[in-house]
Amino acid sequence: MGGSASLIPRDLLSEYQELTFLSKQEILLAYKRFSELLPKEERENACSARVPKSQILTLPELRANPFQHQICHVFSTSETGDDSMSFEDFLDMLSVFSDSATSDIKSHYAFRIFDFDNDGILDRKDLEQLVNCLTGQGEESQLSSAEMEQLIQNVRPAGQGMGTSPGTGLSAHLPPQILEESDIDKDGTINLSEFQHVVSRSPDFASSFKIVL
Amino acid sequence: MSYHYNESFENPDYHFSETLEIDRRGSSQRNQFSHQTPYDSSLHGSSGEHRGREQNYPVAIPMASLGPGSDYSQDLPRTGPYGNFTDSLSFEPEPEETYVPYSTFHMLDYPYTHGISSGSEDSFIRRRNRRPPDEIFMPSSNMFETDPVCTEEEDLVGSLASMSTKERIKAIQKMPETMRKKREIRNKVLKEITKNSRHRGAQCTQCLQGAAVSFRRFGNTLSECFHQLRLWHKTLKIIGAEFGTSVLSYFVFLKWLLNLNIFSFLINFGFITIPQFLAAQPNNLSFTGLELFTGAGYFQQTVLYYGFYTNATISKVENGPSYNMQLAYIFTVGIYFVICFLILLFSMAKFFSRNINSQTLSVNASKLFCTWDFKITNEKAVKLQQKNLHTQIKEGLTEVNKEVQNFSVMERVAHIATHLLAWLASLGTAVAACAAVYFLSINNLELFMKGYRNDLENQSAMLVLPVIVSLLNTLIPFFFSWLGHLEKFQTPGQHIYVTITRNTILKISIVGILCYYWLNIVATSESQCWETLVGQDIYRLVLVDFIFCLLGSFFGEFLRRVIGTTVCISLGRPEFDIGRNVLDLIYAQTLTWIGILFSPLLPGIQMIAFFIVFFVKKVSLMRNCQPPRKVWRTAQMMTSFIFLLFCPSFLGVLSVIGVTVWRLKPSEECGPFRGLSSVYAAVDEWIQILESYTASKWVVWIYHNLISSELFFFILSSILLVVTYLYWQIIQGRKTMTELLRKQINNAGKDKIFLRKKLVTLQRAKRSSSAWGGRGQQRSASSSRQPAPEVPDYPERAFDRNQNTSYNEDWK
Repeated sequence: MGGSASLIPRDLLSEYQELTFLSKQEILLAYKRFSELLPKEERENACSARVPKSQILTLPELRANPFQHQICHVFSTSETGDDSMSFEDFLDMLSVFSDSATSDIKSHYAFRIFDFDNDGILDRKDLEQLVNCLTGQGEESQLSSAEMEQLIQNVRPAGQGMGTSPGTGLSAHLPPQILEESDIDKDGTINLSEFQHVVSRSPDFASSFKIVL
Repeated sequence: MSYHYNESFENPDYHFSETLEIDRRGSSQRNQFSHQTPYDSSLHGSSGEHRGREQNYPVAIPMASLGPGSDYSQDLPRTGPYGNFTDSLSFEPEPEETYVPYSTFHMLDYPYTHGISSGSEDSFIRRRNRRPPDEIFMPSSNMFETDPVCTEEEDLVGSLASMSTKERIKAIQKMPETMRKKREIRNKVLKEITKNSRHRGAQCTQCLQGAAVSFRRFGNTLSECFHQLRLWHKTLKIIGAEFGTSVLSYFVFLKWLLNLNIFSFLINFGFITIPQFLAAQPNNLSFTGLELFTGAGYFQQTVLYYGFYTNATISKVENGPSYNMQLAYIFTVGIYFVICFLILLFSMAKFFSRNINSQTLSVNASKLFCTWDFKITNEKAVKLQQKNLHTQIKEGLTEVNKEVQNFSVMERVAHIATHLLAWLASLGTAVAACAAVYFLSINNLELFMKGYRNDLENQSAMLVLPVIVSLLNTLIPFFFSWLGHLEKFQTPGQHIYVTITRNTILKISIVGILCYYWLNIVATSESQCWETLVGQDIYRLVLVDFIFCLLGSFFGEFLRRVIGTTVCISLGRPEFDIGRNVLDLIYAQTLTWIGILFSPLLPGIQMIAFFIVFFVKKVSLMRNCQPPRKVWRTAQMMTSFIFLLFCPSFLGVLSVIGVTVWRLKPSEECGPFRGLSSVYAAVDEWIQILESYTASKWVVWIYHNLISSELFFFILSSILLVVTYLYWQIIQGRKTMTELLRKQINNAGKDKIFLRKKLVTLQRAKRSSSAWGGRGQQRSASSSRQPAPEVPDYPERAFDRNQNTSYNEDWK
């Protein structure tokens, strides 16, 4: 650790420790990994440099992740919208994905990651895209639209009254589908609090929503 | 509750008093006007009609609705006095309420409080706001922003400043904000604090702060040291990356057991063995090497076994402090078990409390939202996980499509008959195994009684029992899983749990019969030092079990892989059998716990064994196995494993230890308790000695009035029962609450749809009356896309809700 430790000033380091869920070692490791992404001449001032998205995605921790673009997008503070990341963004990301982050903050960011169109709610399109990410983008691995419909179900086609959609009568004794069980106020979409509610009931979430550097 | 819907049904303010936070934003999501990026809208009310709506709800996020008035009125005429009313009312009490979670960190509160509320607009918007804002509404919303933000931030800073340092750091860490914003807030808070502290005795606080800082620094260095010690961080990471959390949980469990054994070894070594070294007699038995397997011979006269320990009081200096071996032995073991009990209890409580909600688990939603394992970074593993999820989702869908099969009576009878037969077969096997072990062990004892001969035949005869036990433990589970396949369970979960139950029964009964043999037959036999014999037996069992574990990963995983990839390709690579492996670990740990009294250094041996098992399993996993196809409910599995470790295993061990300590007579000629009627008599004697000293009267008092008095335990357990009952009642109350609140939300959602419909009809009426207003037309057309299905039966529900509310208030 010696070499990299000297590059982050002591007070900055303790500040990072205070502001994130990361320990000193983790921050130093993050710094090392981050500066490796930069070209040689910029490594001196890695704290202020920005790494383009394409470089960030070469990290083995993100390379294979189907949500990689969303993750970059959510954590980037780039003003130009190119999803490049500064060191602090990088730390923010690692902090959320770390062991000690509360499941509250984890679910908050998970919601944002799953919200592909950034409109603050998980609607039908987001859910479809989420399912596609989970099952893989290949042609043969995607669900057919009918299956998708069935999975998400409770999204009522326009013009149909609630409770009268053809699916509900049929599925009375069947396990509820996604929207039916998570859309508490029945407005056809999932908002942040509904999402957090569902996620808080699943003990697996906090253990799976983790990235270890 | 002065509103009545009649007066305000076209005003969304209506919801103000009775709606929960949850639907505040959800309601307007379908709103076609909310072109703004939503995250800022969620934070500060955004703009446009969207904002107008939100403005009037008492949003939990403080900044959300501070702005007076709203641009709602730009599009729609505001009706009645409610606008003002809400504006003035909606916000005052909110900030405190919102911060409650942070100051108390009450986990139960959190599902509906929105992350963190802070005045973090600028960076937040920058981060979110990729699309150009709606030109029409942006200026107005900007106007609103400036003022509320300041007060908001001040509020936030104020509340943060009033917290203790630790709480403050935690609260700031928990904010879903960018680093810059957090830093800004922190700096403001610090400024605020220094400003405040200047008023008070500055010097004293400074002094204290200095101490606190140095203390914290010390703590940091300490945690750094521990961090360096964090074993196998990288190994665990790799396993998690390739095999996912479920397989990782096995290794985490193994590591946990290893730590437990290291701890127990250190205590036993420090408090029992080191003093014994000081008083040790020379060992004159020869060492041939075979003893390593049998644990007999040379080892009989070492610190490994109970029999070697002295009953003397050790004192190196004349008249100096002395060390009573009897007490050291009993207290070390006793305290170790108490600590183990507490550790297990707390980790069980932790897991249970985490899982308590999962009973009404929403299957599909959580499958989508929670199953993706972000730890997996291996490309192949990702592909595999996607494929597995795909098949699972499809299976789920086909299950939905399938009607629940109605079996005929005959089929049902056949099902039940197969299950019964399978249970009979498995229980019969367990009983047969127990009988075999029992007769074999009696045989074994006769062998010991014949006397000690140091020849090969005798030594290998000693190994027969442990080898047979391990063989039974390894082979019968295969039989059980074959039975499970025959039975055709309806869900794979059932299959797993039934198999685990059968295996547990088998292992427990084998251990049970061995305990019976040790406590009832060996202990009453004529042997010179029965404790040492038991210790040796356990030593052999542990060792052979360890060897079988290694062999198991060789045959079960390596050979299986070779066969699966070369001979019979359809089999493929094996999966890592988490259930079986964890049960093996629990079995090994049970043996170690039983053995602690008879062979205090057994945890050390188990520690080495676990250490090796970790690496062997890791290599075997990496080389031979493929990631699991099923998505295991990891958290639940861990809960049940810890529970198994506690309930049959640890409690069983406690009863065995209890019988040994209170009921059995220790050997006459060896061990620290020689000559006593029972092990516990040592404590009695000690108390009698203490009674003669006035300085230690309190110990005697505690002993008589608390530890050895039934009344105390009676009172203690009745208090516990009362507390349990109270908590149970609270839980019932909470459940009712949840149900009511859920109903309320549902009703509120219906109200909203109803109101939206009303709004649309009103707008339409207005539009038809006044010919102009192209924009409005467009609007209403688009907003009518959100259907309003049925006109709810209004007054009745309003009444209903009022009822609910009053009920809730009662609850509070």
